[in-house]
Amino acid sequence: MKLYLGSHLSWYVPGQVSQMEIRLAESVSLMKLLAQLGLPSTEIAIAAVNGGLVRLADTQVTDGDRVEFHPPVGGG
Amino acid sequence: MGFGSKGRILRVDLTGSSWRIEHFDEAFYRLYPGGKALAGYLLLSGLAPGTDALAPENLLVIANGLLTGAPISASTRFTVAARSPLTGAYGESEAGGFWGPELKMAGFEAIVISGRAAQPSYLAIRDDHVELRDASALWGREPEEVQAKIRAELGDKQVRVLQTGIGGENLVRFAALTNELRHFNGRTGMGAVMGSKNLKAIAVRGSGRYLDAVHDAKPISALGRALGKRVKEQPQAWDMQVKGTPGLLTVLNAAGMLPTRNFREGVFEGTDNISWESYKKELLAARHTCYACAIRCKRGVKVDDRHQVSDAYGGPEYETVEGFGGYCGVDDLQAIAKANELCNRYTLDTISTSSTIAFAMECFEHGLIGLKETGGVELRFGNAAAMLKMIDLIARREGLGDMLAQGSKRAAQIIGGDALKFSMQVKGQELPMHDPRGKVGVGLGYAIGELGGDHLYAAHDTMFANPDSVSFKGAVPLGVSALPPRQLGDAKARNYAILENWNSFGNAVGLCYFGPAPRSFIQIDEVLALVESATGWQMTLAELLRIGERATNLARAFNVLNGFSRQDDVLPDRLFQPLESGPLAGAGISREDFERTMDSLYELKGWDPATTVPTRGRLRELNIEWVADRLRV
Repeated sequence: MKLYLGSHLSWYVPGQVSQMEIRLAESVSLMKLLAQLGLPSTEIAIAAVNGGLVRLADTQVTDGDRVEFHPPVGGG
Repeated sequence: MGFGSKGRILRVDLTGSSWRIEHFDEAFYRLYPGGKALAGYLLLSGLAPGTDALAPENLLVIANGLLTGAPISASTRFTVAARSPLTGAYGESEAGGFWGPELKMAGFEAIVISGRAAQPSYLAIRDDHVELRDASALWGREPEEVQAKIRAELGDKQVRVLQTGIGGENLVRFAALTNELRHFNGRTGMGAVMGSKNLKAIAVRGSGRYLDAVHDAKPISALGRALGKRVKEQPQAWDMQVKGTPGLLTVLNAAGMLPTRNFREGVFEGTDNISWESYKKELLAARHTCYACAIRCKRGVKVDDRHQVSDAYGGPEYETVEGFGGYCGVDDLQAIAKANELCNRYTLDTISTSSTIAFAMECFEHGLIGLKETGGVELRFGNAAAMLKMIDLIARREGLGDMLAQGSKRAAQIIGGDALKFSMQVKGQELPMHDPRGKVGVGLGYAIGELGGDHLYAAHDTMFANPDSVSFKGAVPLGVSALPPRQLGDAKARNYAILENWNSFGNAVGLCYFGPAPRSFIQIDEVLALVESATGWQMTLAELLRIGERATNLARAFNVLNGFSRQDDVLPDRLFQPLESGPLAGAGISREDFERTMDSLYELKGWDPATTVPTRGRLRELNIEWVADRLRV
């Protein structure tokens, strides 16, 4: 699974990277994935799987998916 | 001990080649503590309504904020204001960098420039020594050369130079100012006002220290040190340091609100090619900063490949990457970096330049302008070479560029037909790269903002949706409510009014948008303590917000006196139409709900909803009843 972390979400993960690949032996819920990565769910404004917006609470992902998490952001 | 200011304003009359110093007292400064507030006072009290923005009679006001030059992250901003040649309204733009702090060290809060020099000139200020010098040899030259020559002529490598470039000389209505080549007062055409005065640059050197004029220096220095450490420990500040504003691009695209091809779409298929990750690989050469700022959000770029891009002029910010990227349908990051460099060389506002080119692209695709007008250029979305060519033509006012140099609204009026539908502007100023269909508070800001299309006074609703998010928690002292980003109504109007006052306060005191909460890492109670340390004034947060509200009312009164009314506080029609694709497909803005929320906003502001004129009662509450006399209300 390919994971993309937008804006300041990279700050929370080891190495503070914005892109990573994770091998998933079986499907996993987004909430569990967040917990494993140490990402606070309160900081997720947008979750997308394969380009489509999804809800954190009831989405499972599998190996081969492209997952994006983005935080709330302001002007720039 | 002082009150954070030496209380001095420099007035320069270019026509008469004369200057004088005016003094103000602490009571005055408490009402107008610099930046937008001081500039608003000086313009409203000193400029006759109806003055042509490019006439010698227009005043060019440059004002530091109360905190400009403090040894604290984000305390670097200064305001440039005048009647705008782009909008005809109150014009204003802030920049960071090093020039404002240097003016503070020279002992001035503001410079007010009137008249027109008989020949190209520049102003040289060294503490109390002020001199108008010949700039004939600098006219028509690029900023890097101008800065080097002024430093050589004055024999001082440390002198800070604020200047306009070829765009300003040629009176491009959205020309900018630059200091240190990498920092810009981009918006509302302040570079054209400076150019119209035959003034090329203002060079400043000061020998004072910010802390010499403050009430209590110790807490200020201590906070500066604490912030230096905190920047890596707070996610928003860390993000600004590591990615800078270009990191926003992928977020807005994923949300379906990345303005694409002139706001026709909200998702750009080429986003991966212009994302922060690509920027880092293809462009990034260095990280730069402003005076005393630990955030270091400025990018340096260098390219020697398909395009040659100098590292002298700084790297593109989010607005520029997206403006010359998805907004023009271009996914070539090197071409975008070149567009940024050209705008910075010519001192053109990258938002209005890119938006006006996108407008022309849409006109071309609809046959409203053809190859005859473009000089044989296929001015279609996605044509990076055509985009770069247009920047040259605009700066030099050649061919189609002469018309586009007037901004998209005037160009649309000249072209006629449906062209005005493709001009994405408010009050004549082109919209930044934020789609209100995904965050309606930004739309309220676009519509009601004194400057026309501007995104830095607005409430970016996504930050205030989740009460447990870092951004919302930072804003709790302000009393905002957690609301869905696309929801309009009374509560949204209230959030907008509070956040506009907060952002306006920041521009009055010289704080960068990327310093304080809710956008970043300086907490609101720390800002309150900082103002007290600088001035000795024991102000409440409500009083700080009133500073912002007062500054906004000065600008609104200026606009009312220059003929602006409710019919100017509107959004382009396109934003009421639903997006056709992407995550926000089907999302438009309900015109009825929007107007009702605007009514609520006028009521909160104490402005007549039909005319937008501030009431005497509200102006009295803000301690500026003299403005009511000016407005005859």
